[in-house]
Amino acid sequence: MFVSFLFYLSSALTLAGALGVLFTRNIMYACISLLCSLIGVAGLYVTLGADLVAVTQTMVYVGGVVILMLFAVMLTGGKDFKSRMQVMFNYPDAMGNKWTYGVGIAAALVFLAYSAQLIWKIIQSATKPEVETFKSTVEDIGISLISEHVLAFEISSVLLLGALMGAAIIARPKKIITDGEDS
Amino acid sequence: MNQTVVSYFSQLLGNTPSWALTFGIFFLAAFIIANIAMAIGGLGTYAERKISADLQARLGPNRVGPYGILQFIADAVKMLMKEDISPRGADKFLFYFSPFLALFGVFATLAVLPVSSGFTLTHLNVGVFYLIAISSLIGVSVFLGGYASNSKWSMLGGMRGASQIISYEIPVTISILAVVLLAGGMGFNTIVESQKGFTGWYVFHNPFTFIGFFVYFIASLAEANRAPFDLPEAESELVSGFHTEYTGMRFAFFALAEYVEVFVLCGIGATMFLGGYQVPFGLGGDGLLGQVLQLGAFFTKTFALYYVVIWCRWTFPRLRADQLMTVCWKYLTPIALFNLVGCAVWMVCFDGQSVWELIFH
Repeated sequence: MFVSFLFYLSSALTLAGALGVLFTRNIMYACISLLCSLIGVAGLYVTLGADLVAVTQTMVYVGGVVILMLFAVMLTGGKDFKSRMQVMFNYPDAMGNKWTYGVGIAAALVFLAYSAQLIWKIIQSATKPEVETFKSTVEDIGISLISEHVLAFEISSVLLLGALMGAAIIARPKKIITDGEDS
Repeated sequence: MNQTVVSYFSQLLGNTPSWALTFGIFFLAAFIIANIAMAIGGLGTYAERKISADLQARLGPNRVGPYGILQFIADAVKMLMKEDISPRGADKFLFYFSPFLALFGVFATLAVLPVSSGFTLTHLNVGVFYLIAISSLIGVSVFLGGYASNSKWSMLGGMRGASQIISYEIPVTISILAVVLLAGGMGFNTIVESQKGFTGWYVFHNPFTFIGFFVYFIASLAEANRAPFDLPEAESELVSGFHTEYTGMRFAFFALAEYVEVFVLCGIGATMFLGGYQVPFGLGGDGLLGQVLQLGAFFTKTFALYYVVIWCRWTFPRLRADQLMTVCWKYLTPIALFNLVGCAVWMVCFDGQSVWELIFH
């Protein structure tokens, strides 16, 4: 009972955060709503018994991605528009053209059809799950990461190393060579 | 008795308790822990003032209560009475929201803080990882507090705070990872139970963990925005950093969050490297007496570290911003990485034995 209570609470937080991201015009509030939503998703993982995934979710998204977004928003600035019309007036290109609208609508329809099918299947085959005793997933994940999925694990580490080196190269101050003068 | 608060009540309530009852009981437990943490944070401010007075040959607070020990309550009352001001151009919602986010991030870490084997709220199998993850909310709150104040000082302080906290998370995490490697588990109970006796402490386990302890301690000072790394609130440059515009109780929330965070980080240091709640020779057994002794052991070690933190604050001058980043990225992070690899090699070469075991066996 308590677990399902927590499940509904987390779902409510997730949905509220997601709706907040969609409907706010202040980009800072959108970031905070996203934070709420991601914490809610972590709560969902916990109630489904995936403790390691939940904590990783918090670590990566709350600790990394949201802070990065906040930094990006703050460093790039941005105007506080009162209405959507104002945005459209000031940046007509930002609202898209026929081509982008067409692709967007097509993508939305495909997604809708697919997700409706998926949800319909789930609804049809839904039974109330038995509440299992909570079992930690850390050891299983750890063992399967370095046995079955070791190739993917190693390749992702190479990818991360590449990203790190790329960031270092981009952030590096460019030396401008001038003839005998300090620039 | 050898179980946590949550597991004890879960067993007591049986399989299908009503959610309201469960919620009520866990709320009560969390409420008690949060209040104790508040008291510790308050006493932290008292300790800070008293120790700084001692180091500067002054008396410090000595009027309210015996030796001025009730000063923090008087301060809290004063803070509550003060006017709650928010700047005209401030983002009101975020301005009011961020102190609570800071408190939330700090108090969420208390859920896994292993004060003793029985009085801990819960033993998570991912305890260390959870703690590192949830404490990053404090960085968000510092940043938001600085941003929402709509003041240049606050903005700069918030920027510095966030960049400092996310930078210093890396040496902290890596030096904790070395201990996790030795203990073979991320749960705090696993880590503490594997450090039996004085010679079992991980700080004396091998040379790498010895260095790792100091890396952890320095980096945790920076993570809690304590001097000599208190750049986010450097008063000579930034007035008061990210909480310049905060008044009254909202300011107190930030201050309280800082002191409780220092307590938590010292507790983690004691748990990871100094044996945690292990009582010498296992005195007191598994009963209530043993639990009380374990509380004593944990708090002694933690407050000893807390004293060192305050001592550092009143001894060392503040770093510059570029020096701060240099210390993190050019010294602490490579050393921590070296320690991690060194610990792994040590585990393989000596079969996980500590220096003491190698010498005396």
